Amino acid sequence: MEQGQTQSEEQLDLLQAITMEVASASDFASALEIVLHEVCEKTGWVLGHAWVRNADVEVLDLVATWYCGDGELKPFRAVSEASHFESGVGLPGRVWKTKQPAWVEDVTNDSNFPRSAAARSARLKTGVGIPILSRGKLIAVLEFFMRESRSQNEQLVRVITAVAAQLGLVIGRKRVREELARTNEILRSILSNMGDAVIVADKDNKFLVFNPAAERMFGKGAMQTPSTEWSHRYGLYLPDKVTPFPHDQLPMMRSIRGEDVDNVEMFVRRQNAPRGLWTEITGRPLRSSDGDVLGGIVVCRDITQIKEEEFFRAGQSRVLEMIAADAPLADILTSLVLLMEGQAEGLRCSILLLNRDGKHVRHGAAPHLPETYVKAVNGAPIGPRNGSCGTAMYRRRPIVVTNVMTDPLWADYRELAKICGLRACWSTPILSAQGDVLGSFAMYREENRGPLPEENRLTQIATHIAGIAIERQRHQEILREREARINLAAESADLAFWILYPEQNSAWMSEKGRLMYGFDSNLPLTCDLILSRIHPDERADVKGAYDRACALYGTFESEHRLLLPYGRTRWVIMRGRCLKDEEGNLLETIGVTLDVSKQKQADLQLQHQREEMAHRNRVSLMGEMTASFAHELNQPLTAIANNASAARRFLDRGNIDPALLQQLLQDMVADSQRAGEVIRGIRSLVRKEAGVRTLLDLNAVITDTVRLVSSDVLSRESVLTTELDPLLPQVNATLVQIQQVLLNLIMNALDAMEGLPPLERRIMVSTRSDKGDVAEVCVRDFGTGLPKEKPDKVFDHFFSTKQKGMGMGLAIVRSIIEAHGGTIVGENAPDRGARMIVRLPAVRGQTQTIAAA
Amino acid sequence: MSDPGKVEAKEVCVVDDDPSVLKSIHYLLASEGFKVRAFNKAEDFLTHASNQDVPVVVTDIWMDQVSGLEVLARLCAISPRTRVIVITAREDLAARATAMAIGPVAFFMKPFDDEKFIAAVHDALGKSQK
Repeated sequence: MEQGQTQSEEQLDLLQAITMEVASASDFASALEIVLHEVCEKTGWVLGHAWVRNADVEVLDLVATWYCGDGELKPFRAVSEASHFESGVGLPGRVWKTKQPAWVEDVTNDSNFPRSAAARSARLKTGVGIPILSRGKLIAVLEFFMRESRSQNEQLVRVITAVAAQLGLVIGRKRVREELARTNEILRSILSNMGDAVIVADKDNKFLVFNPAAERMFGKGAMQTPSTEWSHRYGLYLPDKVTPFPHDQLPMMRSIRGEDVDNVEMFVRRQNAPRGLWTEITGRPLRSSDGDVLGGIVVCRDITQIKEEEFFRAGQSRVLEMIAADAPLADILTSLVLLMEGQAEGLRCSILLLNRDGKHVRHGAAPHLPETYVKAVNGAPIGPRNGSCGTAMYRRRPIVVTNVMTDPLWADYRELAKICGLRACWSTPILSAQGDVLGSFAMYREENRGPLPEENRLTQIATHIAGIAIERQRHQEILREREARINLAAESADLAFWILYPEQNSAWMSEKGRLMYGFDSNLPLTCDLILSRIHPDERADVKGAYDRACALYGTFESEHRLLLPYGRTRWVIMRGRCLKDEEGNLLETIGVTLDVSKQKQADLQLQHQREEMAHRNRVSLMGEMTASFAHELNQPLTAIANNASAARRFLDRGNIDPALLQQLLQDMVADSQRAGEVIRGIRSLVRKEAGVRTLLDLNAVITDTVRLVSSDVLSRESVLTTELDPLLPQVNATLVQIQQVLLNLIMNALDAMEGLPPLERRIMVSTRSDKGDVAEVCVRDFGTGLPKEKPDKVFDHFFSTKQKGMGMGLAIVRSIIEAHGGTIVGENAPDRGARMIVRLPAVRGQTQTIAAA
Repeated sequence: MSDPGKVEAKEVCVVDDDPSVLKSIHYLLASEGFKVRAFNKAEDFLTHASNQDVPVVVTDIWMDQVSGLEVLARLCAISPRTRVIVITAREDLAARATAMAIGPVAFFMKPFDDEKFIAAVHDALGKSQK
């Protein structure tokens, strides 16, 4: 017991010492060594092992040994070092499995002690294993050996177990600390290496975290700066890039106020970041476990690149919009160059245009090149050694000159480049869609180098857009020239252009057209409005012709009058073409209107004169036909007079038969009607107004006319015969005019034969059809014939062989025939006399079967 | 058409290609009691004249088919004693002169005075009777 008492005290001392030392140990391994050493020395063990659980492979590894210095123990230690125990195996494994101390009196005779042989050599007998637990989990096993065989000492086991428990507590605490420290380390490392800026501040606006990315973005986080100064100090702006970010709207301030902040865009520009950068900020309040706001955290993502790419694309879109809106080419190219220059530091660009001669260049855009340089280049020729641009256009491929001072291509421009501070220049030809060179795009640097990949990308985009702009402008120039030429032609030809869009009932008309139709230049036009200008008498016909043309032919032509404001009229010819889509729907009608008022007036005047002449001719013909008319009238008058006389005589004699009287009176009525017919016939011939065209049977007209003139034929002791083709087609003609033609020709024939003996005075009037297309009338005489040199001279005005003739007859005949779309020729017959042949167009499908008399 | 009171009256031939004129002369002569034989065609009359004694003929000249002068010339040959009265609708002096040269007993322009015409026919008949 005394020994026990002493032991007990010693053991308490030991416990205290170990606890102190373990607490001061720097780490777990050295704490274990201290424990092994102290326990062995103070409680009589010759060897101590510490086994630690290897969590990866679930075995116990030896991590520390203490022994008394006896050389015999070395081999055993070596065997232990080479051993790894699973749960349940050997002494350490047994402790692991049970989590209870284990006492073995003789390890050399223990069945579950793999190292028993080595233990025998080291003369070891008693062994004890003690678990070290942390929060109920085994983390290590302490193992002690001695040479004496000793039965289990409960107190000793308790002491060592207490030590082990102390160790476990210490280790547990240390591990937590280490864990926390490591976690902190990891967090710090994450924050330091994060690309996004992370800033944490407490509710007094003091920064707790300001990670390196935040420093890169905003500069050093200054603890002393009040939050109202933040925008100014860190260069924080609204997305307009000029308005300082309002203090109370800063994401951090909002987070500290307890708001969630999502995706706020901010522009940052400081002295050491003059180009500025874009950031997108998310912020959250920091709360304690009971929900009080302790501060705020913001994460700022650098979106400069995305933003610049966005701006670049927007810039490209703006330039393309300018192209689409037909902005001046110089403005478009300047915008394009400025856009490109904005994409890289220290970059200057220029665009040159190749003249249409394909040999000289002219200035396109170079907003940041000196005027001297621009002026010197403007008008320069292209060629194989003409700077970067002239050579690029000449060779049709990119030219890179990294040093303009030494490159032979720049020999002629070196001085200029020197003055302007240009050192490197690369140029790429701008090509049209067809591969024609339109110009060049060049980049200039003030340092000697070639293009970076990013700059090559810019060049590619710039040449593409410039190509579109230049080509479009060229096309429009060509269009404008063409339009100007057409307008010039149209105006000098009194032509009006118009386009009708029937679907929308809208229309367009050239200035000339508006003038012609009497529309103000700014009046919005509709199809109906244009239609309303057409003279009411002709409107329906024109509209009908137009609708038919649209439906059937695709083209139409109409001659009509326009009725303009204040009752003025104008004669026009309208020609149009209907354009349809693939499904045959009418899209628009385009066309021209030609003002023919002057011609029309002249035509009308001419027609009037012609009618006047024709009338005079008819009157004079009547004069020549007095014999015929006298005869024609005298016959019925004679019959009337005779019948009247007969009736009177019968009455005088008082024995008249009423039936006979009836007969006489009836005959008198018939004869006076006949006389009336004759007079009407004469009147129709001398009437002044132009006749209406009707379908005429020429054979019938000839028969009637011959009868009319028969008395004159007889009185001139001539014979007139006819030979009429029964199949003669009808013609569309004016009866009186055709009679006039026949009378003229017959009277001329009579005149031509005056010198002949009566028996030879013959006239032959014949008709025939030529393939059904033409109705031909031939008046043949056997007279002196036509002048041999120029038979057609007889058709001239005032040509006459007759003393009393006016020389107008045949000229009028010809004008009448031509007005009917026909021809008349005069020729001498082979044997004797003249033949006058009239041909009139036949009306198709109309064929005479019988020549009605 | 002959007047029953002058049954013994000699026949008067009339030649004219105008049917209504021919018919009216027929009535006119009939109203005076003449016996009339009318011919629409000169050829028919000439045929008649070569078979029958024709004391007096009233004829138009310048008819469509045959020239009046030709008719007169042939009648002279066929029946030299026939007395001819010429009627015409034409005022042609040259034609009149030609006709007169052949020797008609009378010449009338249409339309003519009925009294003078009847008198001329009476006269001609009287002469032919002699």
